[in-house]
Amino acid sequence: MQPLTDIKPGFSIYYLSEHAITLEFGHDISEDMLWQVSNFNTLINQVPFAGFITSVPAYSTLSIFYDPIQVIKAEELPGQDCFDKVSNYLRQLKSYSDTESPSSNDVIIIPTCYGGKYGEDLDEVAALHQLSADEVIKLHSEAIYKVYMIGFVPGFAYLGGMSAQLATPRKPTPRKTIPPGSVGIAGQQTGIYPLATPGGWQLIGRTPLPLFDATRTQPAFLKAGDQVTFTPIDPYQFEHYRH
Amino acid sequence: MMRIRIIKPGILSTIQDLGRNHYLSQAVPVSGAMDTLSARIANIAIGNNDNASVIEFTYADAEFMTETDMLIAYAGDGAILKAGELIIPAEKSVFIPAYTSIQLVNNPTGSRTYLAVAGGWDVPEVLGSRSTFITASMGGFEGRNLRAGDTLSSKEAVNPTTAILFSLLKSENITYPAWSIARRMFLPTDTKRIRVVPAHEFSWFHGLAIVNFLSLPYTLSMNSNRMGYQLDGEPITRIIKNDLLSTAVTPGTIQVTGNGSMVMLMADCQTTGGYPRIAQVAAVDLPLCGQLKSGDTIYFEDISHQNAEMLYLEREEELQQLKDAIRQKYL
Repeated sequence: MQPLTDIKPGFSIYYLSEHAITLEFGHDISEDMLWQVSNFNTLINQVPFAGFITSVPAYSTLSIFYDPIQVIKAEELPGQDCFDKVSNYLRQLKSYSDTESPSSNDVIIIPTCYGGKYGEDLDEVAALHQLSADEVIKLHSEAIYKVYMIGFVPGFAYLGGMSAQLATPRKPTPRKTIPPGSVGIAGQQTGIYPLATPGGWQLIGRTPLPLFDATRTQPAFLKAGDQVTFTPIDPYQFEHYRH
Repeated sequence: MMRIRIIKPGILSTIQDLGRNHYLSQAVPVSGAMDTLSARIANIAIGNNDNASVIEFTYADAEFMTETDMLIAYAGDGAILKAGELIIPAEKSVFIPAYTSIQLVNNPTGSRTYLAVAGGWDVPEVLGSRSTFITASMGGFEGRNLRAGDTLSSKEAVNPTTAILFSLLKSENITYPAWSIARRMFLPTDTKRIRVVPAHEFSWFHGLAIVNFLSLPYTLSMNSNRMGYQLDGEPITRIIKNDLLSTAVTPGTIQVTGNGSMVMLMADCQTTGGYPRIAQVAAVDLPLCGQLKSGDTIYFEDISHQNAEMLYLEREEELQQLKDAIRQKYL
C-alpha cells in the first residue's frame, strides 16, 4: 500500500439526474482511485447534507443521490439550485478528506470449491494459459483482492488484483443461467455471482457463502473497498457448508 | 381490511411503490412503478400516502374479484376497469361492494395501470420498499408476479381522509364522488415528445448524430421491458471512442451501445453501466416513458439540467397542493 500522504484527492462534478450528481476522481482502475472514492464515500456518509439519500461508489466515480425537495429547502446549503447546493457542499468537504484514515485491513475469506461441476471452465482456463488446474487454483487463491465496485446484479463484487497470468476473455456466448456463488474470470477481473443470472464470465469455482440476502441489514456480503481472498475447499466441505 | 382475489393476472402484474432507494451501492435496483405519476395519483385520490403500494398491471386481460367492500382508485393508460358493462372511472375514489368481478379491458393509449387500495396493499417491506424485483425474487407479493388465485389484502391502518371517504361512499352499489383528479393537467400536450438533459458523454457523439437524436423519431423495439427499452432508429455514431469505466446509472439514463443503438434504462435497471450516455430523461417526463409500449414512436427535445430541476420542483409543488386540497375537503 502506498503512503497515504501522497494521495491528493480531487474530483470534477457532473449532473446525473434531478436526483443525483456524480463526482469523477479520474479515468483509471487503480488502488489510488479506489482509495479516493472509498475515502470520500466514508466521509459523505459520516457527514451527510439535508436530503442525502445514498451514495454509489464505482471504479473512479462516486454518485450521490438526494431528495431535491429537502435540498432546495435547506437554507444552510448555499446555491441557486439543488445541483449547486449539493456541489458546493461536496467541494467544501473535500478539504477535510486528506486526513481521513483508510478502511480496515481485514481480509474476508471466501471458501471456494474449484473445478468440476463447481467451476466448469477451470480446465479451459488452465489450458489457455498452459497451466495445470492446480496452478490456476494456487494463483487464484493466493492473491489478495480488492472490491472495486458492486454492480450488475445485487451484491455482485468486481474484484481487482488477480494475477495477470489468469487474465481470460469472456465466453463467446454467455450462459443462460449461472448458479449462485459461482466464481468467474473476465479479462483482468474476477468476481462472484450472487444470484442465478445469465453471464459470460469463465467459471472456475463456486462458494457456498450467500453473497446476497435481502433479509440481512447489509444484504450484500461485500462492499467496495473490502479486501478478499479465496480459500480452496473440497466438494464435501462445499456440500456440508451450511450444516 | 379489504381483499381481492386475482382471477386472471394479465401479462405482468406486480406490486410496486415508489422504489427502493437506499441499497443502490449494493446494486439493488430502484424498481417501483414505471409510471410513478399515475401510481401517485391513484393513491392521492383515496387519501393514501403517495408511496403506498399499488398493483401495476401491464396492458389488459386481467380480472379480479372483490372479497370485501373496497375503496380503490386507479390511474394509468394500460386498461380501463369495468364491472360487467359499467365503466369504473379512473383517477377518482371508488367504492366497490364485496363480490364484484372487475375486468381490465384494453386501452390502446398506453401500457400500465395502477390500482391503489385504502391503506395500500399489505405485503412485507423488503429493504425499505414493497416493490417487486423479480430477478432477485425480492419484495412485492412473494417476490413474483401475481397469479390466478392469489389473494391480496390491504393494510389495516388508513389515513383519516381515507376513512372518511370510505364511510361517505359506502353503499350497496359501485359509488364515486363527482370530483376526480385530472392527470392530464400534469402532462404535456404531446406525450410522445420526451424532454431530456444532455448527459456527461454527450460530446462523445458525432454532431450529426446529436442532430438526429434531437429531431428524428425513435421506436421502442420488441426488446423492451421494466429494465429498459431498446430504441430503433438512426444509429448514434461516436467521435470519441474511449472506453467508459462502469459508473452509476439511473432510470431515465439513455445509453448508446457498441452498434450505435440507444437503450433507455427504466425502473429495474442495473445500478451501474459502462456504455456512454447521451442523455438523461427529465424526471417529469419519465412517467410518460413508463406508459410506452413496443412500436411506439417518440421524439427527444433537449432542456438544461436547471430547467429540468425547476420542472421537477414545480411538479412536486402541484402534487403537494393537490394532496392538501383533498385532505382539507374531508377534514
